[in-house]
Amino acid sequence: MFKLILKMAWKNSFLRLSRTILVLIMIAVSMSMMLAIEGLYDGMAENMINKNKRSESGDISIYAKDYRINKEIKHFIKDALPLKREIENIKSVQAVILRVNAEGLASTARKSSFASLNGIDVNAEEKFGKFSEFLHEGEIDVSKRGALVGIELAKTLKLHIGSKIIFSTQDTHGEINSIALKVKGIIQTTNIKLDTSAIFIDIKNMYKLLDITNATASQISIMSEDTQLLELLKQKYPQLDVKSFLELQPMMKMMQDMMFIFNSITFFIVMLVVFVGILGVMYVSILDRVREFGIMRGIGMAYKHIRIQIILESVILAFTGYIFGAIFGILFLLYLGEYGLDLSSFADALESFGYETVLYASIKFSYFTNTFFAIMAASVLSAWLPLRKIKKLNPIEVIKAQI
Amino acid sequence: MIQLHKVNKYFYKGETREIHALRDINLNIEDGEFSLFSGPSGCGKTTLLNAIGALDNIDSGKIYLDNKEITSLSENEKTQLRLEEIGFVFQAYNLLPVLNVEENIGFIMKLRGFSDKEIQERVLEIANILEIDNKLQSLPNTLSGGQQQRVAVARAVASKPKIILADEPTANLDSKNSHKLITMMKELNEKEKISILFASHDEFIAKSVRRIIKLEDGALV
Repeated sequence: MFKLILKMAWKNSFLRLSRTILVLIMIAVSMSMMLAIEGLYDGMAENMINKNKRSESGDISIYAKDYRINKEIKHFIKDALPLKREIENIKSVQAVILRVNAEGLASTARKSSFASLNGIDVNAEEKFGKFSEFLHEGEIDVSKRGALVGIELAKTLKLHIGSKIIFSTQDTHGEINSIALKVKGIIQTTNIKLDTSAIFIDIKNMYKLLDITNATASQISIMSEDTQLLELLKQKYPQLDVKSFLELQPMMKMMQDMMFIFNSITFFIVMLVVFVGILGVMYVSILDRVREFGIMRGIGMAYKHIRIQIILESVILAFTGYIFGAIFGILFLLYLGEYGLDLSSFADALESFGYETVLYASIKFSYFTNTFFAIMAASVLSAWLPLRKIKKLNPIEVIKAQI
Repeated sequence: MIQLHKVNKYFYKGETREIHALRDINLNIEDGEFSLFSGPSGCGKTTLLNAIGALDNIDSGKIYLDNKEITSLSENEKTQLRLEEIGFVFQAYNLLPVLNVEENIGFIMKLRGFSDKEIQERVLEIANILEIDNKLQSLPNTLSGGQQQRVAVARAVASKPKIILADEPTANLDSKNSHKLITMMKELNEKEKISILFASHDEFIAKSVRRIIKLEDGALV
């Protein structure tokens, strides 16, 4: 019996071909657009998070207890080097890096600005977060007092490759010390904090400037996908301030949540469109065939069989639309993942929020599974109204009406 | 056997009784009958046929099919009764457009749960009698009116119901096709021992049936 009902449902779904094609196009286009938007939102968020992790916090960062409140040298981690070695020995840790940070004043002959001087080991940073990918202009060279400057800070101080700057800060004894630096590269990380205030120099120059030992660091940054690691480190080093990426970057968490809300709203709107589309087609299709259903009931077909037929018709429409939507969606996402969406004309606005000007989409299997279940649910729901019409149908009225 | 006892049916406009469509109908129809409800338009032929077929409700009285009262059945029970005991042939054929002739004929058998083999054999048998065996794979819209009505008769007969109710089955057919259809239905009545009741003005049907039940203004005359 089911085979016959399925056959009737299948044939009825394509009985009015132009109408069916129209609804299939509607489902496919809205679904593929939704997948593209979802991929772009996620891609944008992931890219931003990824760059923030690589350029600053890693997955986990460790500071001395009071350092994040009061960024003075006395709050540096004194035994950072042995600590780093200990952490490197944990199996799930992919990379560990030490950074020394000091806030102070960066000056040129004409301008000065607040800046944050970061002592880094370029080779280690490269392994940690492919640091060279952040280079916007010049070269990654911190030898001989070479410095890499954040792109926004460079604009503020009107710095170019080869420009000279003086950075002044307090050393470990409370004395004001300065270092003359030559700009070798301009860095763009899309991490607003770094782009607007960071100057990167060789960590060894930093030790000298602050008069601290090479065992000292302001931050230990760790790359690891191990979700248990944070708790392990918190327990192991209760005297230190162990923080996850999202604890350190609440904006990122907010952005992730916002993207989730945007995606949910888009998802809801598209599902509403799908629901209304199928509902409309099903309703018109049922109205066209009221006589047929009346006769079917008249000759003894149970309502439950008619219900199965109508739900199947709706599901067939939705499923066919889903297949086309998924194909177009994959093509869109692959294109956007490879070539991106170029929004250079909005570069200033986007960069000021820390976004890339070319947005690349990510592809997740969950896009397709979630959409599949939502479309199937929408199709079953959209059969509900036409079914009410059929349930109320009095066969005799239909039979009388035709005579 | 069908028995009607003091059957009354009214048609309403709002809450007012507009037409007394069936008036105190008392009637016995024996198994295997080949009968006609005749009378002028609006006399209640179709209403009576629909009441017997549990398609329409009556306002008073009782209708029995094989001593089982059918007027008090629920809608689902009536649907089941129509499926198992009654075959319908309508004026407008009412075949399912997406199914081919073979599937249309076997449709009720399928609903009743006959096996595919039983359905296939029975469809072929009936299609042979009604001379539509060469059209089994055709869709209804490719058939002539006469052929479509024969498919409708085949569908009604295939599952061997107790009774077939045919409402103006020849109204859309020319005289040649009408004669052919009624002759075939008579053969089926004799061969299959299925009661067939017509509601029609057709003179050829009137000549062919064994009993004519006349109605006027909703009452038997």
